Amino acid sequence: MDYMILSVVLLAVGIYGLLTRRHLVKVLISIEIIAVAASMNFVLLASSLNRPLGEAFLVIAFSTDACVTAIVLALLVIIAKKYGTCDIRKLAEIERSANERQTSVEA
Amino acid sequence: MIVELLAVGLVVSACLAIYLDEAVYSIASLACMLILMAVLYAINDAVFVAVFQLAVSAGTLAVLFLAGEMLSEKPEKGKSLRKIFSIALLAVVLSLPSIFLSVAVTPVNVSPGFSFADALWSFRAIDVILQGLVIMTVALGIAIVLYEQKADES
Repeated sequence: MDYMILSVVLLAVGIYGLLTRRHLVKVLISIEIIAVAASMNFVLLASSLNRPLGEAFLVIAFSTDACVTAIVLALLVIIAKKYGTCDIRKLAEIERSANERQTSVEA
Repeated sequence: MIVELLAVGLVVSACLAIYLDEAVYSIASLACMLILMAVLYAINDAVFVAVFQLAVSAGTLAVLFLAGEMLSEKPEKGKSLRKIFSIALLAVVLSLPSIFLSVAVTPVNVSPGFSFADALWSFRAIDVILQGLVIMTVALGIAIVLYEQKADES
């Protein structure tokens, strides 16, 4: 059983989700999977090498990860309230049309 | 054998979390993945990290469930059961290299001379205290942002 390969597989799944999913909640889930894959590699290597400092570092990394999730979710709620959608492509279209409107006003 | 089953379960639940359309099912699959990960940590003698992972992921998942329920629209047509099974099968195939291949060198098991508690409180005490401060600041920041948003609306 090789945890390094398992970690790479999970990382690949997360990156695939990050690139292909359009809903922002799904993007957040992909980021979670990437973070879990990275931390798994760290914890299991530290554990197999009998290095408790690596595990202690990861306890701190988990908290930081939870903070990132909380901030992204707060921004998500604001975006959903402001624009009425969580779809990345629709948000990009809204942004593009707003930019075009601004350039036409300036001209 | 248990570790191999856990690895397969991890990859399958990660794939389903990405693939399923409805946000609630997707988050339930992520919850399954995080629980399996905590069990994997516990099996590999990282019990403190496993408990911490469970505690943090419980909070994260509760908020994600709320946000997923609040923000996602129900898809018109759900994925067929056949497609879901084929994705699960693909995930099983993806998890096979981690079971049968090996790239890691044999670890040298040297005793570091200190325990997990020593590592946490002797080497990382300032980090642990500061992370409490960071979490408090983040919570306060989010509350302020949401309050300002509410004030703008009214």
